Amino acid sequence: MTTPIPTYVELQVTSHFSFLRGASSPEELFAAAAVLGHRAMGLADWGTVAGVVRGWDGQKATNVRMIPGARVLLADGRALLLYPRTRPAWSRLTRLLSLGKARGGKGKCILEWTDVAAHADDMIGILLPDMPCDITRDHLRDLYGVFGERGFCALSLRRRPDDAERLHRLEALARATGVRSVATGDILYHSPDRRPLQDLVSAIRDKCTIDELGFRRERFMDRNLKSPEEMERRFAAFPDAIQASADIAAQCSFDLGEIQYQYPYEQVIEGRTAQEALACLTEQAAAAKFPAGVPKRYRDQIDHELGLIEQLGYAPYFLTVNSIVTESRRRGILCQGRGSAANSCVCYLLGVTSIDPIQHELLFERFVSGERREPPDIDVDFEHERREEIIQWIYDTYGRDRSALTAVVTRYRTRGAVAEVGKALGLPRDLTKMLTGLVWGWSMDGIPREQIESLNLNAEDHRLKLTLELARELIGTPRHLSQHPGGFVLTQDRLDDLVPIEPARMEDRQIIEWDKDDIDALKFMKVDVLGLGMLGCMNRAFNLLEQDKGIKVTMADLQDDDPDVYKMIQRADTLGGVLVTVVQKVPLSKLLKHSDKSRKKIVTN
Amino acid sequence: MREMGRRSEHAGHPFKALPSDDGHGGALAAAPTWAMLWGTPTVLVLHCGQKDVISAACPRALELGLVPGMAAAHARALVAGLDVREAEPEADRAFLDRLALHAARQWTPSASVSGPDGLWFDLTGTTHLFGGEERFCRRLLAFLKRLGFTARIAVASTPGAAHALARFGQNAVTLIGSGEEAQAIAELPLAALRLAPEALVAAARFGLERVADLYPMPRGPLARRLGLKTVERLDQARGLAGEPLTPVVPTEAPSVSRRLLEPIGTPESIAQVIGDLVDDLVLLLRARGLGARNVLLSADRVDGEVQRLAVGASRATRDDRHLKRMFGLKMAMLDPGHGIEAMHLAVPLSEPLGAQEAGALLETSRKARDLAPLVDQLATRAGASALFRMSSLESDVPERAIRRVPPLATPKGWPDWKRPARLLKRPEQLSNVVALLPDHPPRRFTWRRQSYSVVAGDGPERIHGEWWRSPKEMWAVRDYFRVEAEGGARFWLFRRGDGVEALTGDLTWYMHGLFG
Repeated sequence: MTTPIPTYVELQVTSHFSFLRGASSPEELFAAAAVLGHRAMGLADWGTVAGVVRGWDGQKATNVRMIPGARVLLADGRALLLYPRTRPAWSRLTRLLSLGKARGGKGKCILEWTDVAAHADDMIGILLPDMPCDITRDHLRDLYGVFGERGFCALSLRRRPDDAERLHRLEALARATGVRSVATGDILYHSPDRRPLQDLVSAIRDKCTIDELGFRRERFMDRNLKSPEEMERRFAAFPDAIQASADIAAQCSFDLGEIQYQYPYEQVIEGRTAQEALACLTEQAAAAKFPAGVPKRYRDQIDHELGLIEQLGYAPYFLTVNSIVTESRRRGILCQGRGSAANSCVCYLLGVTSIDPIQHELLFERFVSGERREPPDIDVDFEHERREEIIQWIYDTYGRDRSALTAVVTRYRTRGAVAEVGKALGLPRDLTKMLTGLVWGWSMDGIPREQIESLNLNAEDHRLKLTLELARELIGTPRHLSQHPGGFVLTQDRLDDLVPIEPARMEDRQIIEWDKDDIDALKFMKVDVLGLGMLGCMNRAFNLLEQDKGIKVTMADLQDDDPDVYKMIQRADTLGGVLVTVVQKVPLSKLLKHSDKSRKKIVTN
Repeated sequence: MREMGRRSEHAGHPFKALPSDDGHGGALAAAPTWAMLWGTPTVLVLHCGQKDVISAACPRALELGLVPGMAAAHARALVAGLDVREAEPEADRAFLDRLALHAARQWTPSASVSGPDGLWFDLTGTTHLFGGEERFCRRLLAFLKRLGFTARIAVASTPGAAHALARFGQNAVTLIGSGEEAQAIAELPLAALRLAPEALVAAARFGLERVADLYPMPRGPLARRLGLKTVERLDQARGLAGEPLTPVVPTEAPSVSRRLLEPIGTPESIAQVIGDLVDDLVLLLRARGLGARNVLLSADRVDGEVQRLAVGASRATRDDRHLKRMFGLKMAMLDPGHGIEAMHLAVPLSEPLGAQEAGALLETSRKARDLAPLVDQLATRAGASALFRMSSLESDVPERAIRRVPPLATPKGWPDWKRPARLLKRPEQLSNVVALLPDHPPRRFTWRRQSYSVVAGDGPERIHGEWWRSPKEMWAVRDYFRVEAEGGARFWLFRRGDGVEALTGDLTWYMHGLFG
């Protein structure tokens, strides 16, 4: 038990990862908490932990400790905050959420009290009661029965009539059932000036205009983050409830950094460690490539890379990628590593990439570096028609509970934000359309005032001004989770011990709640299994060459310095310039001008 | 045959505010004057798929180059301060129907609506009453001008030719003699013939533009290329084929009357006659399956003056006792003068009312009695506007949370939160308030020159301004407190501002309501 933190800790915070409910990002909330003098803050989004990694970043930036948790709304209407005290309890929480999501389908979480009871071990449960009535009494009894000392009853001010009386009666009710009370703030935004945005996202969620929203808006007021001193003043009548919040914070010692990601164990060669297996495989491949003995430059480079890989412990990752590539080759599916992996001699020898880094003088440190300490990222392109085979093979080999796609957080960009805000504020449809028409592509900067005036619109109009202001605030707010095109997370243990998994819209796919930045922050390994149409095309071309002319070509021995090809590119006699990929980010135009000299820097992908 | 084409029409129309001739609708709001309306260019827009398209433009807008068919967004960009309103085709149509009905009473026995913007009158044998066709047209134009319409009239012997000339002719009044139709419409565009859009497209492909282009065409191929309907329309316009019109039929309001042998003047005799009239009226209503919402009694006095009394019913009725009682309540307002020689009862506003079940013989259940008769009687005494019921609106701002609804409407649910029994019409500022910031009720305050000392208080209940309504309300906050003063009086007070941010209010205190 650590020393109790003397001041109040906010435990009921909703960020904008509770889609279209919260109005502030975890980063904003933690920045505000630091300014207000909080030492720790619980982050509990509605049926999701999608925001906790962002909150964890906030913790690192502000030194306000984040207590990760979730808020679950049960099918019978009761709401609970769940905070895992330890690492195993975190796994129970993520499994509970996975269960609810599997039942509810995408974006929903359906849970019963019995589910919570089954996962409640070592978890703090805070009941969010409505009014002090018999139902609340029953809920409190259930809570005490399951959570015992770890069950709490939330007391929060609603700024509605009879607030004080409600709190006193709730507290008495909780005491009578043996449950301790805890003060919470029910926070929806970090600063009071986000209230209009919160009303607005409620309107967007309910698909109506702000005028029609009526009592569907959040009716309890004062939902911004307050300082611990202010909360202690407000709850002066309940000193134990303040103390309880600090006690909970002290008990919940679990930190996201404890999530130890484990590479899936690759049983390649019996009785050897992953590092030895990787070294052995590389040696074999090198020997096959250079029958006359490995040249010194290659030898040095291989030793250097293997040393770095051993030092960082990335051998299993290389082996995993190798197995996927080997499997794909066995099935005759053309694949090609791309991106910075091309800088690795090991990847080249294993056949993950076809570019010789020595010949092209490429720097391995761009790919893996001892200083950056971030996991290597090997993107592998597969023929797009047959990519699904590989995906299903990964699911089958590594297990459905050990592999899932990463999420992509879909956020509002200017165009979508203006359209939604305009609709919610009841602007005429054609006006909204005109405004969105001003927005260029994927812009994230809102619409400047001059453009409004150039349209002959009254920029002083209240609704129009509100639309532009609120749209600017809405930009960057997550709207929903969608699936990454091919980023796979593979683990040794059950994946839902680390992060909740939810079914994706596409059949037979499942995604985790975190996106690639979150995964990077937690040092998860990700293999990008991407689809590329041109690879299928090339595979067919290779097959034709073999059938008709008897020439056997593979990706590795493609000639990449054929002057005729460069001439064709210079004449723009190409089908889609995208397929000319530049490795070292030399501007394409420059490359095309001087391609005779620098043609070795071009690889056709 | 005669035809009025409507070239442009405005949204709010003075005629709509006139008392209606058939008893429907009626005076609603004072009509805006033309000068006021035409001060700003105005267009009406219609949703057309994904776009808003101008369906009509006022003369000023037309001058500025806005034409029907243009995208509304385009028009907005062209003209600053353009007044854009929704077109209401149904309302236009209803109004045109009323105009046709009016015409059928005033101008010609047989009139009908033509398309979305015109009327057909069958003038056969009526113009001499107005001094000939030309004078008829001038008077009609003047009448329509008074209503605010720019109208064009064409008189021809076929509906088709009249239709074409009224819409595509050059003059406000066109008179065509019998047999001259083909000649008169020859130079008009084909669209004047009321052709189907596909036929127009096909005709444009063949290079046929004017009506005259069709005259030399052989009829067989013409029917094959442009459809049989085209040939029919052409014949109808030239008078080679007949075209029946479906005239509007003015419905007659149910009415009964009694002429009296001797003028009457005593209340008893008047009540007797009213009673007899009501009995007659109820029989008539039952026969027609109608119930009265409005009953108008007119009494002709011997000196030639007419006295009128009207009663309204909040629900359609033909209950004789109820009607008699309501007239009984108002009878004192009837001045018989030297005597009444005839009385009439008319029902300007009626609704269909099916057969009603007579009270069950074995009525045992105690149902709540129908409020409608009581409401009618009270409304007859106190005036309809004095009677209302309160309902709630979904707003947290107390002034906006309530609204009046008709007495028989079902009010919506009430808030769960305590609200004062009486809300002051406008909050009254308090003086000498002693209160702790940020969230304590006042200890003492003075209201209407009396000082109160507070013994208990609950709050604050925070109510934010409805920021989407006006910039003033953007950040406004009211913190409401329920306080009990010494002596037991309980009040609802609020403070402007949340006590922390200066932007939310100036921290002045107001009295807003009293609890019982």
